[in-house]
Amino acid sequence: MELVQVDTQRAYEQIREKIITLELAPGALIDEQHLAEELDIGTTPIREALKLLFHDDLVVVTPRHGLYVADISIPDLEQLSEMRLSLESLCARLAAQRAGADDLTVLEALRQEQASIPPEDSRRLLDIDHKFHQALVKAAKNKYLTRTLEHFFGLSQRLWYMALPQLDFLPTAVAEHLDLVEAIKNGDADRAEQIMHNHVQGFYARVKEVLQAKT
Amino acid sequence: MSTRNDSQKALVLGIDTGGTYTDGILLEYHSRKVLASHKSLTTKRDFSIGIEAVIQGIRIEDPSAIQMVSISTTLATNAIAEGKSKRVALFLIGYDPELISSFNMQGRFATPHYHYFSGGHDLYGQEKEPLDLPAILAKVSEIKNDVDAIAVSGYFRPLNPEHENRSYTAISSVCDLPVVLGHQLSTKLGSVERATTAALNASLLAVLKDFVVAVRRALERRQIDAPLMVVRGDGTLMSDEFATRTPVETIHSGPAASAIGGRFLSHLDDALVVDIGGTTTDFALIENGQVTVSEEGATVADYKTAVEAANLFSIGLGGDSHIALNRENKVTIGPRRVVPLAYLADQYPQVQSQLHALSQRSRTNATPDWLEYWYLLRDPQDNSLLETDHEKALIEFLADGPKPLPEILKRLDLFHKVQIGAGNLLRQEIIGKSGLTPTDLLHVEGRYASWDTESASLALNVFCRFQLRDPDELRQQVWLQMTEAIVHAIVTFLSGKKLELSTVLEDDDIGRWFFYNSLYANHPHLETRFRLRQPIIGIGAPAGIFLKDVADVLHTELILPKHHQVANAVGAVAGSVMVTEEILVYPRVSSDGFEVTGYYVQTKDERQLFEAASDALEQARALSRERALGAALRSGADHPQILMKEQADGLDTYRIQAKAVGNPRLTH
Repeated sequence: MELVQVDTQRAYEQIREKIITLELAPGALIDEQHLAEELDIGTTPIREALKLLFHDDLVVVTPRHGLYVADISIPDLEQLSEMRLSLESLCARLAAQRAGADDLTVLEALRQEQASIPPEDSRRLLDIDHKFHQALVKAAKNKYLTRTLEHFFGLSQRLWYMALPQLDFLPTAVAEHLDLVEAIKNGDADRAEQIMHNHVQGFYARVKEVLQAKT
Repeated sequence: MSTRNDSQKALVLGIDTGGTYTDGILLEYHSRKVLASHKSLTTKRDFSIGIEAVIQGIRIEDPSAIQMVSISTTLATNAIAEGKSKRVALFLIGYDPELISSFNMQGRFATPHYHYFSGGHDLYGQEKEPLDLPAILAKVSEIKNDVDAIAVSGYFRPLNPEHENRSYTAISSVCDLPVVLGHQLSTKLGSVERATTAALNASLLAVLKDFVVAVRRALERRQIDAPLMVVRGDGTLMSDEFATRTPVETIHSGPAASAIGGRFLSHLDDALVVDIGGTTTDFALIENGQVTVSEEGATVADYKTAVEAANLFSIGLGGDSHIALNRENKVTIGPRRVVPLAYLADQYPQVQSQLHALSQRSRTNATPDWLEYWYLLRDPQDNSLLETDHEKALIEFLADGPKPLPEILKRLDLFHKVQIGAGNLLRQEIIGKSGLTPTDLLHVEGRYASWDTESASLALNVFCRFQLRDPDELRQQVWLQMTEAIVHAIVTFLSGKKLELSTVLEDDDIGRWFFYNSLYANHPHLETRFRLRQPIIGIGAPAGIFLKDVADVLHTELILPKHHQVANAVGAVAGSVMVTEEILVYPRVSSDGFEVTGYYVQTKDERQLFEAASDALEQARALSRERALGAALRSGADHPQILMKEQADGLDTYRIQAKAVGNPRLTH
C-alpha cells in the first residue's frame, strides 16, 4: 500500500466534494498550497488528485494561469444535457429489456428509501439519486455505457446542487422514479425511455433557469 | 547501537508489537546477522508511537538501505478482546435459527447484530431455497447508519457462493459500507466459524487500515521507503495491502513470529519454543522446520474462527507478573501484569524513600497492598478523557508522583479499589500500576540489575515480613511456582490433556500424583519423570533464568540462541511470503439426485462446469496454481514455489490447494 495513493484518494474525495457542493465555485482559481494546508495533505497527493479531477472534467488547466474549477456555462450545459438525454434514455430502455430480478429488487429498495428521505436532507437525496442511476446502468448490462455514464453523473452532481434552491422538483423526481421502476418491472422499454427522457429534460430545464437567473 | 552502512547488504527491519514491549531488529537478511536491536514500551492507544520509538532507537544510519519492513502485531487480538473493533451486522443466509439457538451458538458470532435470511444451497451446491434479497435490502436500509461494516455468510456456501455474491452486489448498490463475504476468507465448511470469521474480519478492516497507514507514516518520517509486510497467525507474511483486506489473519501473529524467529536463530528443525515475555509465556512447536499449524481455526477472546493459525498455547505468566496474596493468603503470580517496583523507583526516586519508611512501620501497618503503586503514565492533556469525579480526583492526586493504593483509597474516601473505577484510565494508558514482580526478585538476587535493586529488596522484605516468612524461602517458592506453571503448560499443551493442579494433600488422582512426583521426586519407591524429546528454545530476556529448571525437570536441553531476547522481531522478517488458493471440485447432480451430470470447478469468485471429473480436476489444478502464483507475486514473494495438495472431501468432492511460498522480495 502506497501512502501517496491513500492520501491522493483522500484528497480527491475531499476536493471533489468541495467542487460538487459548490464550496469551490465554478470558475474559481485553485490554490494548491492553500488546499494542502486546509486538508492537511502533502502537495504531491493534492497535485495527483487535481490530475484525476482534470480527467473528470471538473478541473480545467489553462497554460498561463494555472488551475480552475470548471465553469458552468449555458452552452456547456446544453452539450451536457444532449449527451445525458440520449444516453440515459438508452440506459432506461436497455434496463427495461434486460433487468433481472435482483436488479429490480435493488431499484425498488432505492426508490423506497428515496421516498422516505425528508426533502431538506439534500446530501442523502443526492446520494440515493446517484445510486439509483448507477443501479439502472447496472441493469442495462453494457459496460461501455456504465463507464460513459459514470463520467456524466460526476459532472451532473454539481448541477444538482445548483438546482437545489428550487426544491419543488424533488416530489416530481420521486414520482418519476416510481413510474420508471414500474415500467422497467413491466418490461415496457418505450415507456421507460420516455420517463427517463422527461426526467432528465426536466432536471436540465431547472438548472438552466437557475443559471439564467444568475447571469 | 549503531550499524555499519553498506548498501550491498540486504538490510531488513523486523518489528514485533507485544503486550508489553515493542521490539525491533535490524537484520542482514542473507547472513542472518542481527546488526542492531531495540526495545520500547508498547503503546496500546496507538501502536505506531511505540513502533517509531523502536525505529528511532535502532539508529539506522542509512534508511534508504532498508529493503523490507515486517511487523507482527497484537492489534487485531487486542481490538477484539477489548471490544475496540468496529460494529458489524452479520447476515446469515440459509442458517437455521432454531438449530443455532438450540446449540446456543449465537454468542459465537462475535457481534450482537446478526440477522437470518432464507436462501442457501445443499451439499451438492444446488439451490435449496431462493435468496430473499428484498428482506436483505430492507434490513440494510434499517441498520446501515448503526453499523460500520456488513458481513455475509451462507450455510454450505463454499460449494456455491452465488447467494453471497448476489447479496454483495445488491448491498453495495444501496449503501457504501464495506461488505465482507464468508467464502472469500475460508473454504472450510464449518458454517458458524466461517460466519464468525467474516464478522471479525469486517470489524477489523478499518482498525488494520488505520494501523498500516500509521506505520507507513512513521516509516516515512524516518525516511524508510521499503515494502511493508505483516505477519499472519501461522507465521507467514503477507503484503500490507493483503493485510488490510484480511485483517482477521493477523490474529496470533506475535507468538507465531516468536516461534519462527527461534527457529531462524537456532537453526533447529525440531524443538519446543517457549517465549517468556513481560505479560505472558507462549508455547509453539517446530516440526521439520515449520511451526505446527492448528487443525482447528484460531480462537480469539473465546470466538472460534476458521483462520489458520499456529498451534499455540499461552499462559498469563511473565517477568512482570504481579506477585500478590490471594484471599487465603497464598502467593499468586499473575495473570495481571504490572511495572516492576525496581523500575518505578528508578524513574521516581521518592518511591525508594517511601519503601524505606514502609519497612520501618509495624508489621500490621505494612500490608502488601502498600506495595501496589499507581502512577501517571502521561498527562491527560485533553480533560474530556476524564469522565467521572473519581477519575479527576485520582489524576490530580497522582500529579506529583506515584502513590500506594491505600493512600489513594484514603484520599478518595473509598474502601476498595474496584470502587475507583479506573478501568478507562488504565485502558487509555493514562495511569499505570506497579508492584512486586519476578523481575524485582531477579534484582534482589543480582541476576538482573538494570534498575533500583535497593527498592526491590525493601519491597520483598515488606512482603515477607507481613507473612512472617524468610525472603530467601519466598523467592525459592516463587521460582518453584513458576517452574511448575510452565511445566504444567508444556505437559498439557503437548499432550492435549487437561490437568487441574491442586494443593490438597489428600488427593488420589493419579494424573496429579504423576505430575507432582515427576517434579519433586517425593515418592520413596516409584520414580516418574518427564522427558521432552526435543530441546527447548528459550526466547525473551528472562528465558535463561526461568527456563533452566524447566528444562531440567523435563530432562531436555535448553537452547538460548544469540539474540533470543528479540527473536520475536527476528521472526517477523524470517517468515516466508505465502498465498494459498483453494478450489473445490464437486459433482453436479440431477434434480432427482440420482445422477451425476457433470463436475463444477468452484473458485472464490466463479464456477465452471465440466463433463468429466478428470477435466474438472485438471482445470482446478491449473487455475489454483496460476492464481496462487499471481497472488504471491503481487504479495511480494520472490520466485515463489508452488506446493499442490489434493484432498477428497466427502461425496465425490475434492479440494485442490495450491500454496505459493517464497522469500520476501527485497527491492524497492
